[in-house]
Amino acid sequence: MRIATPLLTLFRVLVYGFLLAPIVIVVLASLNAGNFLTFPPQGLSLRWFWTFLQNDVFINAIVYSAVLATAATSVSLVLGTMAALYFVRHAGREAEAVRIGILLPLILPEILTAIALLFFFYEIGIGTSYKIALFTGHVLMTLPFVFLNVTTALQGRDDSIELAARTLGASRYTAFRRITLPLISPGLATGGVFAFIISFDTFGISFILKGTGSAPLPIQLYDYLRFNFTPEAAAVSTVSILLTLLLVTAADLLFGRD
Amino acid sequence: MRRLRASILILPSAALIFLFIVLPYVNVLVMSFRAPADGQPYGEGFSLQGYVQFFSESYYALSLPQSLLLGALTTALCLILAYPVALHIATASKRWRGILYGIVLSPLLVGIVVRSYGWTILLGNSGVINSTLREMGLITRPLPLMYNNFGVVLALAHVFLPFMVLPLLSSLQAMDPAVQQAARSLGAGRLTIFRRITLPISMPGIQSGCILVFVLAISSYVTPALVGGMRVKTTTLLVVDALIDQFQWPFGSAMALTLAVSAGIVVLVFARLTRIKWS
Amino acid sequence: MTEVSLLSLTKSYGKAAALKGISLKIGHGEFVSLLGPSGCGKSTTLKCIAGFEDVTDGKILFDNRDISRKLPEDRDIGMVFQSYALFPHMSVAQNLAFGLEMRRVPKDQIAARVARAMEMVQLGAYADRYPKALSGGQQQRVALARALVIEPAIMLLDEPLANLDAKLRDEMRGFIRDLQKRVGITTIYVTHDQGEAMTMSDRVVVMFDGEIAQAAAPETVYDRPASERVARFVGNANILELPVAGQGGQIVLPGGHALQIAAPVPWAGGRLRVMARPEQIALTEPSAGHLGGRVARRYFSGGHVEYHVDTDCGPLIVLCPTSRSYAEGEAVGLQFDAERLWPMQRTGLPEEAAA
Repeated sequence: MRIATPLLTLFRVLVYGFLLAPIVIVVLASLNAGNFLTFPPQGLSLRWFWTFLQNDVFINAIVYSAVLATAATSVSLVLGTMAALYFVRHAGREAEAVRIGILLPLILPEILTAIALLFFFYEIGIGTSYKIALFTGHVLMTLPFVFLNVTTALQGRDDSIELAARTLGASRYTAFRRITLPLISPGLATGGVFAFIISFDTFGISFILKGTGSAPLPIQLYDYLRFNFTPEAAAVSTVSILLTLLLVTAADLLFGRD
Repeated sequence: MRRLRASILILPSAALIFLFIVLPYVNVLVMSFRAPADGQPYGEGFSLQGYVQFFSESYYALSLPQSLLLGALTTALCLILAYPVALHIATASKRWRGILYGIVLSPLLVGIVVRSYGWTILLGNSGVINSTLREMGLITRPLPLMYNNFGVVLALAHVFLPFMVLPLLSSLQAMDPAVQQAARSLGAGRLTIFRRITLPISMPGIQSGCILVFVLAISSYVTPALVGGMRVKTTTLLVVDALIDQFQWPFGSAMALTLAVSAGIVVLVFARLTRIKWS
Repeated sequence: MTEVSLLSLTKSYGKAAALKGISLKIGHGEFVSLLGPSGCGKSTTLKCIAGFEDVTDGKILFDNRDISRKLPEDRDIGMVFQSYALFPHMSVAQNLAFGLEMRRVPKDQIAARVARAMEMVQLGAYADRYPKALSGGQQQRVALARALVIEPAIMLLDEPLANLDAKLRDEMRGFIRDLQKRVGITTIYVTHDQGEAMTMSDRVVVMFDGEIAQAAAPETVYDRPASERVARFVGNANILELPVAGQGGQIVLPGGHALQIAAPVPWAGGRLRVMARPEQIALTEPSAGHLGGRVARRYFSGGHVEYHVDTDCGPLIVLCPTSRSYAEGEAVGLQFDAERLWPMQRTGLPEEAAA
């Protein structure tokens, strides 16, 4: 037992290191001054960030991903919150079916869902045009995250608080707006941030449904990585990591305090 | 009346799931039985040719055991890595718990492409690990860390580790600490408590974590593509190839469904073997 | 002040009936407790009155106005919840002001009324605190003030003391009762604690299985329960099954002592089940009692001693002052307060009773 405890601690530290390693290495690689992803790095430099900033393909991809993520998250926030309200407050015997149904996009293999959607949109004659299929896919992928977070927020709250507001004369709508909404706003924020990040990073759906023309960032990055080995991809990845961190921190500062 | 009004809340989501998940999946099922055709996605009438082609050509058929093996290895590695971590977080002080939770969730915040890319930097022939070992004079030729099952399993385990930790954590946190104290008061040592109390109680978490990781791993695309460099042929890679590059919809669908059914059987057998009698 | 009438209220969930026809009239300014075990329908009744549940059938009247189809916000009720249900993101003053804002009371009046309400519950100094920073008792008083500041027609309390510790609970009983009398508001109080219902109410409504078993003053429910089930629920009850002597109202104890009970018994012969509360039996020397027995167990509880005594009528519980003590195993005599023996509505021969 005396020996086992330090061994266990070491093992844990290794696992935490394992979790962080690829992320840390990407950030370090982006600072490489050399032309290739070599190790040890040939000096430190921000030149690849500069290259990236002048590369319209990646800049456009980031903007495209951000717009897509914002749109998909907005729709998911509304639908997911409504569904969570139904699930927590009103669902009876069908509760489990509702939960599984909404979590289906999360449970089913993403790539298979993407393929199924591709066929489906072709069959109804829309195909990948107008980005409708892509947008639908992103809403589906983000919906479970909003639903899960808002459900948790609602379940953590005492139901009678909203009932109390009703007895004091607030209408259903007023009680929701003045009491429930402020109370679940941290859950909404977390769900929204999660949804945004998932949409921003999701691969399978975007890969299959992107159609022609501009593509979301992960696809652009993947295409680039298949044929290039410069640290520019690392710079792009680092920027994407930083954007995510920024988003999470902002949400935490705004809504984190309960 | 009340219920009717409430059902408006669920209607949009239900419609979305039905139209864009249920119907499309049914469509895939039908598609897998359609006849192939040249120059267009599928032809007239129905046939079993997609399935026949998959099982008769070893190039395709062998991808199935390869996929299942990859899934099983990834699941096992995830479980071994995740359990001590979950146990640690479950018993950590409140402040530490937040930090450790953040570390565990951090891979989720970074795109799957970026994460897989990170592993290629680490595992490549001139990558971080091989370079360091060569600098230290421990090896002369690079170790084959990438473009094989080893690299893919390692990267997949990283990508899906959070999905193993989270269910484990919730089953461990739901456990009443007094149960362990009770075992202790009855004379059990720490190892016995773990084996006889903690492990069985966390079984539901182990079960759902394993199933989740297995399903995610066998259907993953980016990681095997980047870290395996197309040299680790999984069924999912071949499915995408058949559908997107070769435009063979019935064949691709048949492959995808065969994979899904095989995975389903594995999951069912696993669930049966680890059946929980007490809950 | 408002009079509340429940007219054969029923509520069913699918096939399961939660309320099977509740009829009750509650007078102006009356304090009525709904008492019963969990699942008896007391909370459902309250929710129907508050408007959180639609009644399946029947009517609810506030002063002859049918409010059964109104929305909760239009019913003019003040409600105190078991969890208090304070708005955690609002200060005490904001919590109190909420109901007045909903009623579009002018701002300056809101401030004055909130201040007065806070004085009323002795929380004047806590206006800007958030609920989390208050003790359980203080939160409870905020909840009361919030319900009362809107001057509702009636007040509903749903097990408001269940989350408090024992000592505070006793204090709050008196506090709520005094406040209710001072304001003079018609009040319906739901509880599963018979002591709470007894000490606070003008009238106790005992409910079982979605029906009212008895609705009467606390003393009546305690001394003259409508059924054995009520008798057992509102306190300890010794039930003795004894033969009735020839003329009405005389029962005969094993050993030959006959007791004339005060309550009218309109039949003769057969057997009668009578109830004696533990404190209505006294312990004496073996020779002096109506019935002989032996002390099986003795529990000391400060003010009283509870004896479990084995007798020819079965085991009986006796509550005695501490002045004279009996040891376990000691032979004793039991003396009944015949005036207060209460016949239960169940008669007949033992075989019939068993059938």
